[in-house]
Amino acid sequence: MKNSDTGSFIVNFNLNGKDVKAEISASTLLLDLIRNTFNMKGTKPGCNEGECGACTVLINDVPVNSCLYLAANINGKTVTTIEGLSCNDGSLSAVQDSLVKNGAVQCGFCTSGMALCIKALMFEYENLVNSKLTGKKPKLTENDVKKWLEGNLCRCTGYVNIIKSALELINNVERKSG
Amino acid sequence: MNFELINPQSFKELFLVLKKLKHRKYRYAAGCTDILIELKRNPEDDLTLVNLSQINDFKFRGISQTKNSVRLGAGVTANDIVRNLNIKLLYPVLWEAAYNLASTQIRQVATIGGNICTASPSGDITCALVSLDATCVIIGVHGKREIRIRDFFEGPRQTALKKGELLYEIIIPGNKKNTVKLFSSFIKIGTRRSMECSVVSIAYHIQIDGFNKILTSGFAIGAVAPTIRFTAKACDFINRKNINALTERDAESFALKVSEYSDPISDIRATRWYREKVLFNLSKSIIEDIIKCQIEVK
Ligand SMILES: Cc1cc2nc3c(=O)[nH]c(=O)nc-3n(C[C@H](O)[C@H](O)[C@H](O)COP(=O)(O)OP(=O)(O)OC[C@H]3O[C@@H](n4cnc5c(N)ncnc54)[C@H](O)[C@@H]3O)c2cc1C
Ligand code: FES
Ligand code: FES
Repeated sequence: MKNSDTGSFIVNFNLNGKDVKAEISASTLLLDLIRNTFNMKGTKPGCNEGECGACTVLINDVPVNSCLYLAANINGKTVTTIEGLSCNDGSLSAVQDSLVKNGAVQCGFCTSGMALCIKALMFEYENLVNSKLTGKKPKLTENDVKKWLEGNLCRCTGYVNIIKSALELINNVERKSG
Repeated sequence: MNFELINPQSFKELFLVLKKLKHRKYRYAAGCTDILIELKRNPEDDLTLVNLSQINDFKFRGISQTKNSVRLGAGVTANDIVRNLNIKLLYPVLWEAAYNLASTQIRQVATIGGNICTASPSGDITCALVSLDATCVIIGVHGKREIRIRDFFEGPRQTALKKGELLYEIIIPGNKKNTVKLFSSFIKIGTRRSMECSVVSIAYHIQIDGFNKILTSGFAIGAVAPTIRFTAKACDFINRKNINALTERDAESFALKVSEYSDPISDIRATRWYREKVLFNLSKSIIEDIIKCQIEVK
């Protein structure tokens, strides 16, 4: 992967459904690769130190802080950013829709990270349901959601509506998808 | 922040790299949740990062159970521990430490090797492993060696690792055969949930047999001394005692013995006085809970 003449690396990965390739330097962070090379500005730099979650992206469907992730490690993986969450026709995904409807978006700075984390929680929940031998679905509680969203700070909304969105989405998961 | 990066794909490759880097300044990078923050704040000149996260080695990344122990690769993440139901059952203290580490996002990537080797006085997983009397397996260009985790720390951010060595595995001794009840938990008192810097943390793992005798116990304290400490004298004090015979006074003696190991600082999060008080009261309450639990059972 390394080009010894320039000290740069080539990475191949899947970004929001498209196979992409990029030349990066050793210390490039995934956050900067997404924002600067791919010009997708929905992934937000907040604290740059793993505290706020504004820079959250999904790597192979799990949420990770892109501000603390070496771009060199993204080779061969799948990345979903907020741009990849909306449907192919450009309309909002169920997560985004629910956040909007519940008034869970104020300034919007935390929203990309929140939306991706809620999406990941939906995956997590589906896996849990699928791995259960008994047919009964466990109900997600407010505390489950709070625990899951611990790494996402919001300066505006007071969290209530964000948590409400997640609960609505997941406890009715059979009716909505995406 | 500027550094060179080398991405070995196997340990064989890694050791070749280390030999080449013999006279250079290098550090390892695993989940990068500590080291990138460190380098963002204080960039180091001419640094090479040796990336451990692309090494393909199932022992380094896996959790396995043998007859008398559980082995965790240094590349195991906090989330790998959270997902492991065996660990939840056998070592609740470790499971809780991993479950309460940082945030969902950080748990996906943060490794136990990083938690240990960063040698912070308040490393949560490390504190749990000290209470479990775990052993570190170190590999290096000159071979393999083992060291008890309680002897691994030489000071804040200082470990027993020599140049050319790295942490490969952690071995946790199995619970005693006669153990029928565990008091095992991780307590972290902090200013904010995800802050690494707890004010006081306590990890304990107490094994009790069918006759209510304490077979063995492990107790470790974090954030109250330059390194995480195993409070051996306090453990010796309760080992082999019957929990029916434990008194309020014992709880206090125990807490005093724990406190002997602390030497906290005053900082922005808490004063020395506060840390000492919290440590004493928490330690005491753990023994009191064990006493109470006994009365309820009877
Ligand atoms: C927002 C935030 C919250 C946090 N909260 C907590 C918390 O609640 N509790 C807690 O304990 N920690 C916390 N941390 C600290 C950090 O996440 C943990 O210490 C984590 O386990 C470090 O692992 P890593 O793989 O990311 O380490 P890295 O950053 O990759 O490495 C850390 C250090 O260990 C060395 N190293 C790594 N692996 C090895 C190895 N196998 N052999 C030799 N040296 C090695 C590296 O060279 C480096 O010096 C937090 C961090 C952040 C950013
Ligand atoms: S910008 Fe990454 S967590 Fe705040
Ligand atoms: S909506 Fe403003 S930070 Fe959350």
